Amino acid sequence: MSLLEVKDLNINLGEFHLRDVSLTVEKNNYLTIIGPTGAGKSVLLEVIAGFYPIKSGKITLAGRNITALPPENRGMSIVYQDFMLFPHLNVFDNIAFGLRKKALSRAEIEREVRTISRELRIDQLLHRKPKTLSGGEQQRVAIARALVIRPKMLLMDEPFSALDEKTREKLRSMVKKAVKDYSTTVIHVTHDFEDVFSLANRVAVMKDGRIVQEGTPEEIFCKPTSDFVADFVGTNFFHGRVLESSNITTISIGNIAIYTTEVAEPGAEVTLSVRPEAIILTRELGMYSARNVLPARVVKVKKRGHVLWLTLDVEGLTLRAVITLNAAELLGIKEGVKLYIMFKASSVRVIG
Amino acid sequence: MERLSFRLFTIFIALLFALFLFAAITTLFLIPKPNEIIESIKSEEMAYSLKLSLVTASISTLLVMLFGIPIGYALSRFDFYGKSAVKSILDLPMAFPELVLGLALLLLFGRTTFGGALNSLGINVVFTKLGIIVAQFFTALPYTARVIYTAFESISKRYELVARSLGYGEFETFRKVTLPMARSGLFASTIIAFARSVGTFGSVLILAGGSYMNTEILPVTLYLNISYGNIGMAITSGIMLIIVSFTAILIFERLEGSKNVSVRG
Ligand SMILES: Nc1ncnc2c1ncn2[C@@H]1O[C@H](COP(=O)(O)OP(=O)(O)OP(=O)(O)O)[C@@H](O)[C@H]1O
Ligand SMILES: [Mg+2]
Repeated sequence: MSLLEVKDLNINLGEFHLRDVSLTVEKNNYLTIIGPTGAGKSVLLEVIAGFYPIKSGKITLAGRNITALPPENRGMSIVYQDFMLFPHLNVFDNIAFGLRKKALSRAEIEREVRTISRELRIDQLLHRKPKTLSGGEQQRVAIARALVIRPKMLLMDEPFSALDEKTREKLRSMVKKAVKDYSTTVIHVTHDFEDVFSLANRVAVMKDGRIVQEGTPEEIFCKPTSDFVADFVGTNFFHGRVLESSNITTISIGNIAIYTTEVAEPGAEVTLSVRPEAIILTRELGMYSARNVLPARVVKVKKRGHVLWLTLDVEGLTLRAVITLNAAELLGIKEGVKLYIMFKASSVRVIG
Repeated sequence: MERLSFRLFTIFIALLFALFLFAAITTLFLIPKPNEIIESIKSEEMAYSLKLSLVTASISTLLVMLFGIPIGYALSRFDFYGKSAVKSILDLPMAFPELVLGLALLLLFGRTTFGGALNSLGINVVFTKLGIIVAQFFTALPYTARVIYTAFESISKRYELVARSLGYGEFETFRKVTLPMARSGLFASTIIAFARSVGTFGSVLILAGGSYMNTEILPVTLYLNISYGNIGMAITSGIMLIIVSFTAILIFERLEGSKNVSVRG
């Protein structure tokens, strides 16, 4: 039995509808929901949390029909992009907020708050008011507040969007560990594929109030079932085998080798991803800091707005790259042209 | 160049108006002779009027807040049948004169079966002290409810959703999250409610009747004494009104300030 089952859900918000949404989430899974803006990701999350009345459909949690249950009885907690910490309470009381509704002694509450605070490294901040914290600290408090009640399910709506890249990375690894330690099942709405690659084991893609594809990250990114999903994820994938992994990992794909800074088990079959915008083109070889330099031939050129999407043939491998019109003119890009592509080893992600 | 002169023009108008208003208020304090004012303050009528004003306005403020908070909250948070009607009706008293509101209340409580029913229960609103409170309540509530509504609107609904997901019911969430977060807005609304109540004149005059030493509140004292040509008493009641309003503002601000400090500490 799945932990969460959403079946044929329909919601009418006037201008916007959720249509026939069905979704299952297994216990301890980490599901990310991606999709263009306005697709209904936030609405779906809040429907699962119980904030909207449902027109038709059914939601079950651990076998129990919760469709008509108010949010306070669902045992799910939610984390928003802009933290939503209660400004009149200090950090300790914010985190303890949900615990105070449970039959816990003062000492137990104190212990639970300290445990999660240590886990998310905010134990020095417990007496502070939310206003005095940095964005990253505030979001860690919000995550602590949500996790400390050991929810059946943790819902997060773009939790890292308001943070800078460095903080994001730090939080990702903290969340990953905390979610594991608290054995929490997560639904995480995001626009950032990094979240998908580093956290998720399931992905759902939404468009116009529907779920258009659901599966493992590999299925979504490598076997998109529609042009929409293919375009939306738009990234390059390769399957290969790990040759060696020391300070840099070498992966053989067909008759080329690709280097990545990520660690992998030698001998393992892996899937790699490289974002099209991470690929740099050049006509002549010189000295570069990028580890991966490969010869390529332009197969197709497609103009989209102010950029060109190129389909390249790299020793039998098909790859997509995106460049500006200026750069294309400078390099004399047209179909059939031969050149070199390069990308840093740190731009190559191992996703499965 | 044109922009500069337009800018000077607007600033000039702003300063000019402020100056006039300030001059008018100062005159209030400068014209009367000090002994005249002291005599008036000592008079039995002034003491009666001041006390009645304070008592009625305090009760009205309390009632206005008790009604205003649910009204403001419902309008800000929920969609319900008749919501836009409620909004428009609340806007009405701001558009039509207080005197007419008083007249409408007089007819409602005096000439209808509803008024009759209240009467037979021993509740007399027309030409009584209770009438003062009713008039003040109906005059101040629309303004206050609007300010409270704005205070709730400025608080993201998501704070409440978070609290709900953490196990708090609707009312608990309101008490533990929304109310504390709206505190400064609610303080401001209380001041507005009190200032409006103390200053209400037209509707009180019509519904409660401005009768000497009976339903006589400060604005009525001012009015009655002007008509008798008793300038000293009139000015004194005017000054009293201002002092009462300013004191209320000071007290509320002090209260709020001290709470802030203790919360921070
Ligand atoms: N309470 C509401 N009433 C009516 N329409 C709403 C309501 N909430 C959201 N919508 C509409 O539903 C649509 C989907 O909104 P939603 O916030 O779920 O999108 P999203 O996928 O989360 O987008 P983003 O990636 O920008 O956050 C939008 O067109 C929005 O205007
Ligand atoms: Mg959203």
